[in-house]
Amino acid sequence: MKKITILTLITSLFVSTISIADEVNVFNARHYKADGELYSKFTNMTGIKVNLINGKSGALEKRIIEEGADSSADLYITADAGRCGAMDAKGHLQSGLTSAAIKSAVPKSFRTSKWVGIAKRARIIYYSPERVTGAELSGMSYEGLADPKWKGRLVIRKSSNIYNKSLVASLIENNGKKATAEWAKGVVANMARDSKGNDRAQIMAVAAGEADIAVANTYYLALMLSGKKGAEQQEAAKKVKAFFPNQNDRGTHMNVSCAALVKGAPNKANAVKLVEFLLTPQSQEHFTNNTFEFPMIDGVSPSPLVVNNLGLDFKQDMKTKLASYGKNQAAALETMTAAGWK
Amino acid sequence: MKFNSWYISSFLISFIVLIPIITVFTSFFENTSNYYEILKNTFLIEYISNSFILLISVLFFTFLIGTGTAYLVSFYKFPGSEFFKWALILSFAVPPYIYAYSLTAFFENYGTAFTILKNLFGDGNYNKNIPKFDGMFGAILSISFSLYAYVYILVRASFLYQPQNLIDLGKNLGFSKFKSFYKIILPAARPAIVAGLSLVAMETLAEFGAVDFFSINTLTTGIYNSWITFDDLAFANRVSFFLLLFIFSLFILENLSRRKAKYHFNSKGGFKQKEKIRISGSEAYLAFIFCFLIFFISFLFPLSQMLYWTLKFPENLFDLPIINLILNTLYLVILSSFVLIIFSLISNYGNRVSSNKTLNVLSTLSISGYAIPGVICAIAFITFIAWFDNSIIKSLGFNSIKKIFIGSILGLVLVYFVRFYSLAFNGIKSGYEKINISVDESAYLLGYSKRKTFMNIHIPFLRNSLLFIVILISLEIIRELPITLILRPFNFETFATTAYISASEDLLEAAAVPSLFLILIASLFIIITSKYILRENNE
Repeated sequence: MKKITILTLITSLFVSTISIADEVNVFNARHYKADGELYSKFTNMTGIKVNLINGKSGALEKRIIEEGADSSADLYITADAGRCGAMDAKGHLQSGLTSAAIKSAVPKSFRTSKWVGIAKRARIIYYSPERVTGAELSGMSYEGLADPKWKGRLVIRKSSNIYNKSLVASLIENNGKKATAEWAKGVVANMARDSKGNDRAQIMAVAAGEADIAVANTYYLALMLSGKKGAEQQEAAKKVKAFFPNQNDRGTHMNVSCAALVKGAPNKANAVKLVEFLLTPQSQEHFTNNTFEFPMIDGVSPSPLVVNNLGLDFKQDMKTKLASYGKNQAAALETMTAAGWK
Repeated sequence: MKFNSWYISSFLISFIVLIPIITVFTSFFENTSNYYEILKNTFLIEYISNSFILLISVLFFTFLIGTGTAYLVSFYKFPGSEFFKWALILSFAVPPYIYAYSLTAFFENYGTAFTILKNLFGDGNYNKNIPKFDGMFGAILSISFSLYAYVYILVRASFLYQPQNLIDLGKNLGFSKFKSFYKIILPAARPAIVAGLSLVAMETLAEFGAVDFFSINTLTTGIYNSWITFDDLAFANRVSFFLLLFIFSLFILENLSRRKAKYHFNSKGGFKQKEKIRISGSEAYLAFIFCFLIFFISFLFPLSQMLYWTLKFPENLFDLPIINLILNTLYLVILSSFVLIIFSLISNYGNRVSSNKTLNVLSTLSISGYAIPGVICAIAFITFIAWFDNSIIKSLGFNSIKKIFIGSILGLVLVYFVRFYSLAFNGIKSGYEKINISVDESAYLLGYSKRKTFMNIHIPFLRNSLLFIVILISLEIIRELPITLILRPFNFETFATTAYISASEDLLEAAAVPSLFLILIASLFIIITSKYILRENNE
């Protein structure tokens, strides 16, 4: 009896390595409850089991890299185009996301053959209507964040944050590295405090009067307004207004959650099916209503919370290729660090 | 008989445990990519200075809290002193990263403190008046309140064993209570204090969750980040090298002071229970307030913040696959305890029957794993497996072994083994030290075989130690974060990883439920073991 128990224990050590036939392995860095529900729907529809390994993107990427050609990963799903781009640059992705369904759903600048955007977000400016006038904001752009008139009035999170890296990468793409380095110095000089906390903390700092303007992603305000974060944050969110920068030129900086096809994926066909599923109107609606992102495809409208409070009729930057976020990522970090951006 | 299975198993164990250290040191001289050289040098200075600030501050706080509470409960009787004696170790159930979530949840703009003020005094902008415990200071507080119990437990034990006449000496010299404490009691407890503080220091340097949550760059998060941001394993390993230098000096210090501490405890043959002094009036009141404050801040505060959030956002409770998480945790705990205990028994028994110098050195080497941060263990393990697979297994024409070790329960248990072997080994060693060698000899005289001696005599004697070790290992594994996070298989979560992932996605309220369960389960284990940790007589 004892021996059997021991034997079972030892064999169970290896069980996890045996794989089942019809499945897709997802390295997942998006941890919204809503995503899990979508994966279950996919399994119910197709019979394909979705295996998840959740983690922070960095750790997941490293595991894919170290496992190399033997990696069990099929899809890598994460919340920034910069990350998908960086994985591509390192040669860990493969072509294959080229089906007609994908191509017709996603605009060209938001996909490559190796990774595609599955939901959009904009990185925008939040301001206190009590302390910031319309005149001050008029024609405001990301470039304008370095304007000395914002001295001591701006909050933005750390330079190590991927959303900031992608934003700065897009500025490097449009304005060049030298101009962006000057810009970063101006931004650091304008900060109301050393960078700390997440995007939501920046919005709350404006609500609480610690700063007048903040840079953060669109879905955070909707999340706070939804009441999912409690009544206090709902109140706080009402003290802040959203502003979409660069409306007079290239448009507001857009980013995506992306799904990338991993090199050597053992279940490539299933991975493509899952991506196509995530781009169906049904899945897109699920995203917009639960994570408050913008839909990737036409014909689905964002959550009413987003539409009513942020507005929709803003000009999105459709020109800057999202692939440049990955390409310029290292330069972006270097630029910010050199400027003393914590 | 000399070069027998004991050698082989001891060599094997030492080799496995030494894998991370060997990997780190061999990578030190490898070229790192030049691309970010300047950037990396700036970072290295920041990592070192942040680690240093964190270390010094945490040592200061844990010393103050640990010795202060230990002194009060060991020498005085005051209302609640019996309760605080064990309640103060409950802080172990709250890992620093959960403490960090609680601090943020309570003090952030529009956080719990704001809600309380609003409910008490009506609307108002209280945010400016609520202190913010984040960044470096937040990290210092989180780690200190979670780890002071190391100092408390060891110092309290040493206070208990201080001979009565030493304390009487102070009285005879007409010293005040404070002067006796400062001049006599504290210096006599020095080895225990140093031992406790070096444990705290090792844990602080290895700390990942809380430090990462507050985005402080220390050597440990620096290793992780340079591995990720710079894609530079060689640089990560170089940072590890600096960290290990730091840690090994602490490790040696701890071992030396432990030896001294032992000498102190055992020198006075018979042990007599000291009479505790009953204090009353304002003194008793102050003692109570101090202990209660520490208990409240370190345990009740994070517990109630997590409970409050669980009740406020109950939907997260229903979303959490609790049974599944408990089963996963149990699975890891049982497997790891089993493997750890079998090998520690073999190695301890080997040391006992052969009493050989080389074996002793090997076993000392193999307990060094505890000093290596989990992040480094995990990274070094992956590096090692990748290297081994690419340069040996594949060149021999075999299939890749990566999948067997990376992202599998086997790999996870192996790295736990490296990290926690010293816990199991030392536990069994101290159990064995209580069984006199003459017991073995009598058994042999009675015609017992070695195996029978081991099964029928040693095991029953060791039963209590074994139970204690299993619980210690369980506590560590329940709270363990970086190793599990990096190496776990598909669809496999623990309370710790669930909490961490929610928190890193800015879903702190979703992190509350797994955190709450983690605290409760860990508390249960602590309460079960408290009688072993806090025993007041020589069993």
